[in-house]
Amino acid sequence: MITLTDFLLVGAVLFSTGIYMIVSKRNSIQVLIGIELMLNAAILNLVAFGRFDKLKNSGQVFALFAIVLAAATTAVALAIILNVYRRYKTIDPDEIKNLRD
Amino acid sequence: MNVALPHTDSTIINYTLAVVALPLLAALINFCLPVKSKVAGWVSSAAIVMGCVLSAIVFSKVWNQQPLHTQTLWFTIGQTKVYAGTLLNNISVLMLLLVSLIALPVHIYSTAYMKHDDRYGRYFTYLSFFCFSMLALVVIDSLVLFYAFWELVGFSSYLLIGFWFTRDKAVQANKKAFIMNRIGDIGLLSAIIIIFAQFHTFDIATLFADGGLVFKSIIKDGLWISEANQMPVIWQYVACAGIFMAVAAKSAQFPLHTWLPDAMEGPTSVSALIHAATMVAAGVFLLGRVYPFFTDAELTILAIIGCFTAFMAASIALTQNDLKKVLAYSTISQLGYMTLAMGVGAYGSSLFHLVTHAFFKCLLFLVAGVVIHEMQHIKEENNLDIDPQNIQLMGGLRKKLPLTFIAAIVGSLALIGIPLTSGYLSKDGILIQAFEWSDGRSAWLKLVPVGALLTSWLTAFYVSRLIAKVFFGEFRLLKHHPQLKMHIGDGGWQYRVPLILLAVCSLFPLFSLNPFFYENAWLFKSLKPANFLARENIYHSIIPIGVNILSVFVMYFAYAIYTEKRIFQFPQTGFLYRLSYNQWYLDKFYKHAVIKPVLGLGKFCFWFDRNIIDGIIHLLDNITRKIAALTAWTDKYIVDGFLHAVAALVQSIGNFARKFQNGKVQYYLYSMLLIVLILFVLKILI
Repeated sequence: MITLTDFLLVGAVLFSTGIYMIVSKRNSIQVLIGIELMLNAAILNLVAFGRFDKLKNSGQVFALFAIVLAAATTAVALAIILNVYRRYKTIDPDEIKNLRD
Repeated sequence: MNVALPHTDSTIINYTLAVVALPLLAALINFCLPVKSKVAGWVSSAAIVMGCVLSAIVFSKVWNQQPLHTQTLWFTIGQTKVYAGTLLNNISVLMLLLVSLIALPVHIYSTAYMKHDDRYGRYFTYLSFFCFSMLALVVIDSLVLFYAFWELVGFSSYLLIGFWFTRDKAVQANKKAFIMNRIGDIGLLSAIIIIFAQFHTFDIATLFADGGLVFKSIIKDGLWISEANQMPVIWQYVACAGIFMAVAAKSAQFPLHTWLPDAMEGPTSVSALIHAATMVAAGVFLLGRVYPFFTDAELTILAIIGCFTAFMAASIALTQNDLKKVLAYSTISQLGYMTLAMGVGAYGSSLFHLVTHAFFKCLLFLVAGVVIHEMQHIKEENNLDIDPQNIQLMGGLRKKLPLTFIAAIVGSLALIGIPLTSGYLSKDGILIQAFEWSDGRSAWLKLVPVGALLTSWLTAFYVSRLIAKVFFGEFRLLKHHPQLKMHIGDGGWQYRVPLILLAVCSLFPLFSLNPFFYENAWLFKSLKPANFLARENIYHSIIPIGVNILSVFVMYFAYAIYTEKRIFQFPQTGFLYRLSYNQWYLDKFYKHAVIKPVLGLGKFCFWFDRNIIDGIIHLLDNITRKIAALTAWTDKYIVDGFLHAVAALVQSIGNFARKFQNGKVQYYLYSMLLIVLILFVLKILI
């Protein structure tokens, strides 16, 4: 029988993997993938906890919204990455230091 | 005071002021001219010629008349009114005329004598300034102004002695003269202060006239009493000693005489005017002015010192080889006679001798000037290394310088006091009165006239020696340098006229129509109606005869020794010779007794200043430095250190915070995670 705990464990693993990717990868695309992984971990948690609201299925609905939002943010992020590449000829986040004061 | 002066009197006063002011004007004009200007000589001479004429007029008006005394209020301090003005009596108009008369030939002579000097104009500036001081000195009536001009005379003499200031000896000489004169000035100043304290006035006429304040003051029971005041008698002695010091310094009396021989470093024409005829007479003049001030005992001391000075100087003059030094010592000797005469009460004779001496001594100095000038000429023409003043090198000059020779003979005879000259009249007067004075006194005071008598024979000897060495015999320089070129002569009219003028003045007719009896001299008669005018005792006959017969023998003796006859040669090793040659060792004595201690004191003060005073200051300096260093250290390491520590802390905090702001996106995320983690950990722990 698959319990809530299993879902949460999978979600935690996904989240941790996402964080790891975000802080360690040297490619912006991979960092973006890490973000998606973390989002998906959150969506998984929403769906898993949605089991306790069987009447209104608000968890499922929230998950749908989150997926849509994730798609939108990914599109925006890819556009940013493209522009960054055009400007700096690289997408290694370590090389881009213009955020510094 | 005298508001309504008669017309003639005010004219005389104006003339007198003109006589005094003209040389000052000349000095001022010359001061503005260039240093080398040849006009200066004529400016000064013109001033003196005019002064001469005017003073002759003043003399003729005032001589043997009532003294003419005018004064105006000079200044007022509290209740004391100080007057200043002129006092014209016999003695001051006599000096006025004498100074201008002597200055005239000297000025003419100087125009030729100083012709080639680089500082010709400056010379005449000084000379005129001297004449001004001296002329003002003799007519002034206030002791304060008298003192001022007394100083000015000393000062201008200082300038003239050191006229050739590039010579070391001249500088030494003028320093010495100045210091010696300063010693005398202190005496005069203290005497003036005491007199003012006693009589409350500076006015010479009020003080010293017949029946003046000094006459009325008496000494009783150890008190000195005048109308205004009384004080212990010691102060009278102090004032007298002060006046005597002043006289001794100016008139070169023992023990302050040593500056006069050294003063011969000045130009010879200056020596003639200042150090023979006028300035040195200022001391005797002072004695004449304040004569009533001296008591009988003090006059005796004066006579003894005058006699000693006369004898000592004459004995020194015997062995000197420097032409001008011999004359300088003979001047001291004659000044000694004048002081002696003052001391024995021969007031008139003293001033008479002052006048006659001024003429013949000025004449002798001008003769010396000509001789030195010609010797210098020979020296330069032949490139010799000789002293042009050394009489050992001279001789036989009578053929080369005939006029100078005649002038020298006249001057010498007057100095010795041979009849027909002026010197005879005045000097024998002094001798006779000295003997008369000693008659009623203790036996040992006989030494005074005897010493004077002896001195007159010594004078005869050294003067003859001088003349014989310079003018007779062979020219000794020629023996050492046979190829000598000699182009010498008496010189131009500027030399001849003064010599002739002074030579005439050194003979008897100017003073007395009777060449043998000094009592008949008009000058002597007017100065003091003495009570021994009558030829009452034997001295009046025996002394002139005795003195002169012996003098003639002595002169012949000297002539015989020092011309080629050489019948006898003096030993030059004996004690007496050395004593005389070294000028009685007085200079050496002063050197050891005064100069060395003074220098020692100076050195001690220097040492004290260097080591003690400076030492204390250096110590303070070091302490201050140490404190300052400590403060600097504290400031640097404690105060600044604290600030630096704060700054460093702030900086390190800043640097620490900055590390997070390195622009890397992932690093920001790291930080965020870390802080979230920390928050969680803290939340769990707390």
